[in-house]
Amino acid sequence: MIHRTLFFKIFIWFWMAAAVIIGVFALMVRNSYNQSFPQRMRSSFREALNLYAEAAAHTYDHDGPQAFAEFVAKSERESGTLVYLFDASGHPISGSGDAEVAALLQTILKEPPQDRYTLISGRVTWGRPVTALSGGHYIFVARLAAVSLGPPFAFTPLRITVSILIAGLGCYLLALYLSAPLKKLRETVQAFAQGNLSVRVGPSLGKRGEVADLGRDFDHMAERISNLIESQKRLLADISHELRSPLARLSVALELARKNSSAAAMGPLNRIEQESERLNELVGQLLALTRLESGAERVPAETVLLEDVVQQIVDDANFEAKPLHKEVKIVQLDKCRVNGSAELLRSAIENVVRNGVRYTAQGTAVEVGLYWKLDTAELSVRDRGPGVPESDLEHIFEPFYRVSEARDRASGGAGLGLSIADRTVKLHGGSINARNVEGGLQVIIKMPLAPVQPVATAPDQTAFSPAPLASG
Amino acid sequence: MTSVLLIDDDTELTKLLEEYLEEEQFHLDSAHDGVVGLQKALANQYAVVVLDVMLPGMSGLDVLKQLRQKSTVPVLMLTARGSELDRILGLELGADDYLPKPFNPRELVARLRAILRRTTGGGAAASSKPVHLADVELHPESRSVTCGGKAVTLTGAEFDLLYTFLRSPGKIISREDLTQAALGRPMSPMDRSIDVHVSNLRRKLGSYDGNHERIKAIRGSGYVYLLPGEQP
Repeated sequence: MIHRTLFFKIFIWFWMAAAVIIGVFALMVRNSYNQSFPQRMRSSFREALNLYAEAAAHTYDHDGPQAFAEFVAKSERESGTLVYLFDASGHPISGSGDAEVAALLQTILKEPPQDRYTLISGRVTWGRPVTALSGGHYIFVARLAAVSLGPPFAFTPLRITVSILIAGLGCYLLALYLSAPLKKLRETVQAFAQGNLSVRVGPSLGKRGEVADLGRDFDHMAERISNLIESQKRLLADISHELRSPLARLSVALELARKNSSAAAMGPLNRIEQESERLNELVGQLLALTRLESGAERVPAETVLLEDVVQQIVDDANFEAKPLHKEVKIVQLDKCRVNGSAELLRSAIENVVRNGVRYTAQGTAVEVGLYWKLDTAELSVRDRGPGVPESDLEHIFEPFYRVSEARDRASGGAGLGLSIADRTVKLHGGSINARNVEGGLQVIIKMPLAPVQPVATAPDQTAFSPAPLASG
Repeated sequence: MTSVLLIDDDTELTKLLEEYLEEEQFHLDSAHDGVVGLQKALANQYAVVVLDVMLPGMSGLDVLKQLRQKSTVPVLMLTARGSELDRILGLELGADDYLPKPFNPRELVARLRAILRRTTGGGAAASSKPVHLADVELHPESRSVTCGGKAVTLTGAEFDLLYTFLRSPGKIISREDLTQAALGRPMSPMDRSIDVHVSNLRRKLGSYDGNHERIKAIRGSGYVYLLPGEQP
């Protein structure tokens, strides 16, 4: 996925642009190289060369061949300029020069009044007819070795490659510089999303610019969200405390009343106790559900051995079901590891199993199966009860949804157990469904299996990473 | 009269409980915040301390942590129902048992009696002969344990649990029996406290040679205390 990252995009596009610019520049320099010479030549060199030509003609004409030979030698020695002089018909006076010089000479002979030059691989050969002060006509040709009129920098393929590589390094650093703050911001946002509400971007993104502003905006938002969640948690804890304290006092007062009452009062007192117990359970479930739905609960990424959790729940539920002449038994128990909170999953599965125990007919068993299915753990809880009307099936996971009021009340259900199971399973990335099977209801929980890890948690190391919700 | 310290910020509740427990032959002394509670618990001899987890000033768990540094007085914790975390943390910090709040006062009395039965020499201390098993040495009369020559500080429940294990090493003991032996009460459904006590005991004793478990969980049955050579 690297080709989708901002870093990669900036890097590759800037580098490509830089390479194109380097290429175009090299082409332009190469093209202008041959053409740019005459304009520059015309202005200053020509004047100097005219003087040089006249000086050469004068030296030869006035001071004699001996002096001219010295002039030629001095010119070559001091500036590297080769000087050739021809008479008006083109016969050499001091050396005839190479083919280049000869070619230039022929051109000048054809059109005498013009000065001429040739330019071959950076060397200038220049010539013109010249008249000495005494009236002698000559043709002067000079090879200007000292004057470098080639391009200031020659773009060889190697040099172009090196330039592009250097540009690549520059673009890499630029992309790094531009994308690093965004990467940092993303890491912070991820940590926040995973439940670490205290992370902030802070001044790490600099003081100015759009990204720094974005960071500040994020911090602002994070502050508000964490305040909201904190106050929600506090509210839940307060509600829990405020609702439960009277219940706690009620139960003590009830026992005191029981001690001082006649046998006739026992019936109503038992009823009071039962109702206060029911109220208490309801408060607990309501709080658990609110906690799950508010997002205040974090799912830790610890490995849960689902088969152990299921085994313990079944043992306990069976223990509870025996006095009711019911049974809970395991039909299959594959080893399944999932990621999440053992405590939350325990309460979710417990709710489903208890629901099964509640509805299964006397003398029957709730059958629990845990199946390993490639990438999914599938838990099936099947009771032998009346089932649920098809139209109600999709609603039974809604809070307080009642299929049959009379029946629920008789069995003491608070109507929240399945909702809690539903929210918990969804929080763990799984799904929960119910369907009618022959002679009962089957609830199926599917959870994604944890990726295989070499180190497993010991079976009874109870995990308790979710943020504590103090109450009581 | 057995004297009990109740640390709970609900004054009305403590008053009602005082009245109720009086009739059950308990003298209830109460403290309404953690700091005072800790002072009282350290200054006086109580048979049991009942400690609410949610306290103003200093949390119940902090009180427990500090109390355990100086005293082995049995502690019964009152936790919020549904807050498994507090319960597990409390047991790990050395509480002897817990009771979810709101509780039935009859249940409170039953738990108090269970703790008292264990600590006042009944049950486990029937035979007072020291027990040796590999590197572990247990002295019932002084209720002290050494492991590999070093003294190990165990809470009352952990001591009774270890005693139970040492009397039948290599045998599977059910969680019900362990609960009865270590906590002096029958196991209630959905009750994980025995697992926490076993886990504490494991942690405190360490494993054989650093990598062989001493106490193994047998799924669906219970726990077994393994002898050094007998690794599954």
